Amino acid sequence: MSGLPEAIAGDMHKAKRLEWWTLIGMASVVVVMYFAMGSSQAMKTAFLEDLLGLVPAATFLFATRLESKNPTERHPFGFVRVNSLAFLTSAVVLATMGLWLFYSGVTALLKQEHPTIGPITVFGHTIWLGWVMIAALAYSVVIPTILGRHKKPIAENLRDKVLHTDAQMQKADWQTGLAGILGIIGIGLGFWWADAAAAAFISLSILFDGVKNVRIASAELLDGAPRKLKGSGLSPEAVRLRERLERHYPSARVRVRESGRYMIADLRGIEVPAIVPSLDELMGSDPGWRLAEINFTPPDCAREDLEN
Amino acid sequence: MWRWALTGLTGLILASCDMPRDPERTTSLVGETGTIRLGWIENAQADGHVCDALAELQETTGADLQIRRGDSEEILAELAEGKIDLAYGNFAMDSPWSKEVHFGRAIGWRAKPPKHESVQRFAMRHGENGWIMTVEKAARP
Repeated sequence: MSGLPEAIAGDMHKAKRLEWWTLIGMASVVVVMYFAMGSSQAMKTAFLEDLLGLVPAATFLFATRLESKNPTERHPFGFVRVNSLAFLTSAVVLATMGLWLFYSGVTALLKQEHPTIGPITVFGHTIWLGWVMIAALAYSVVIPTILGRHKKPIAENLRDKVLHTDAQMQKADWQTGLAGILGIIGIGLGFWWADAAAAAFISLSILFDGVKNVRIASAELLDGAPRKLKGSGLSPEAVRLRERLERHYPSARVRVRESGRYMIADLRGIEVPAIVPSLDELMGSDPGWRLAEINFTPPDCAREDLEN
Repeated sequence: MWRWALTGLTGLILASCDMPRDPERTTSLVGETGTIRLGWIENAQADGHVCDALAELQETTGADLQIRRGDSEEILAELAEGKIDLAYGNFAMDSPWSKEVHFGRAIGWRAKPPKHESVQRFAMRHGENGWIMTVEKAARP
């Protein structure tokens, strides 16, 4: 299995362009945030989240480059599953960072650290650095909002979990930006705990997203049944495919697994049929490109049959 | 929902007009008592810049100085505990005390001195952002 199906080539092109824009846009956000960061915990959390936001975009571009490569002697099945590996990598990064940021936020709250945000002199005028931070955070909200909106429908068309995680992260980015602004305003109003509380709140959302994605990615790497793009439930497309195959081959044991963005069906206990139903028949109204392979294992060919 | 959000936002903007404020009310207490409790590190010299900064601070707050002298450990510990409002002395930015108190700008310097160099500065309590702004404005060159 190599190359990209024609049906999704256009969307893939758009996705790559969006991810390049993400790298450029979010890098500019990271630079602005770094210079305005100061000693605010929420701002530091938002900065790290924006920095982490570059990971899914970079892994997506890396994975798509590898995915279209032809199989080699060492990798005879191609590199389709690099997408799954990239997804697991970005999910683990997300979860780890969420945990670390939650720890920092809660520690700051328990130690009752009073964050200092001092003045800064700009063009001869001394202003509170908090205003600069709020402006930087507002900028950090704009770019992910625009990019995230464009990515979601494309991720759904491509059945691409990395792109979907990226779109999710962009949602988290703008929520983080808003929570950060509230944290800074909280400090400005004299509530020392507002900053650390905002940071802990933001990190919880990062942590939950990370853990959820680790579960989905692990299921895929363990040859689990295909999962939904949004959540850990079974993919309705995979369930429908299994039901159609069971109708066509009632005596077979049907299993469907996921390999990257594709599905592979395994039918055990029946002879290889002379004629296989068409893709339209098997996939119905679902996109045909998702079904990459159907494997038939005749009776007495599987190891468990041979051992009995 | 939008009405609530707009009301909340308007309230926030109005409340943020006098930002930043102090969690421990240093600026308000200085105004209410008419006194700035200043800890002066022994042997610290005051040049014209420091005198100007203190005069400006007194004028801005309408408060008088109540000076208490002591060694740096004693004065900075009192500042961290909130027993005094301000400390003056020669401090390096990389001092271990920088975690406990906030060191202001180097007085009389246009550029930033090296972090390890002890120069004349004011020190304030961490987190008292309104008070820090007031002192730093008074101490600017």
